[in-house]
Amino acid sequence: MTVLTELTAGHVFEPISLTLDAERARAYRNAVGDGLGVYDEAGAVPPLAVAAVALGVLLESVSLPAGTLHVSESLEFRKAVSPGATLECRAVLAQRSVRGGMVVSVIDSEILVDGSAAVTARATVMSPQPS
Amino acid sequence: MNAPEVAPVVRQLTQPMIDAYAEASGDHNPIHMDEAFARTTPMGGTIAHGMLVLSLISEMMTAAFGERWLAGGSLEVRFRAPARPGDTATARAKAGEPKDGRLRYAVECVSQTDEVLIAGTATVGQ
Repeated sequence: MTVLTELTAGHVFEPISLTLDAERARAYRNAVGDGLGVYDEAGAVPPLAVAAVALGVLLESVSLPAGTLHVSESLEFRKAVSPGATLECRAVLAQRSVRGGMVVSVIDSEILVDGSAAVTARATVMSPQPS
Repeated sequence: MNAPEVAPVVRQLTQPMIDAYAEASGDHNPIHMDEAFARTTPMGGTIAHGMLVLSLISEMMTAAFGERWLAGGSLEVRFRAPARPGDTATARAKAGEPKDGRLRYAVECVSQTDEVLIAGTATVGQ
């Protein structure tokens, strides 16, 4: 599997398609303890579930070196996502730099539903520099 | 429109919760789940996923703004310190001045000792 720190800036990850079905959304809500009724009323899943599941699927294609830390996260929730919606996730390694023996990677991602962005995200992680 | 008060969300984080989150999200990094491995790292033990702790902030904003948050919310945060199993995390928000037609809040998640776990800004359309 590709290691994140071996990638160069501008690397485009293989687009991912996945379905966030009602069962998985319920599992997410149970895990985080979110019992709000608004999701059922709105026919939507928690927006952070969309970002989290897309990140989880992305991590199936790229491994993170031991000791990698999630430093920061920016998210925009542009439209509500219904349970069962098909998500298309596009991600790119927007920046890569080395500071103090750590590789700083910035991953920009866009999660689309029906062709338009539902969630956009920028994640910054720091990993030990490979020796 | 002035930014309304947002009620905090308080939740204890447990290892079963972290394990369930790993299963639901697909993030099975051993630093979150494998105590023996995690003890060999600078963390000294398992820690909660940052996105799990962040979910408390998103839940807090969802409770306050409902569908406006689901389709129109934004978050910009830094993960300042790890949360560990047994910690009680509190998500809270302090209203700031609205800007560019959006309500703005300084948001954070703190531990039971008031250590800042996550800090940043949340905005939502007015």
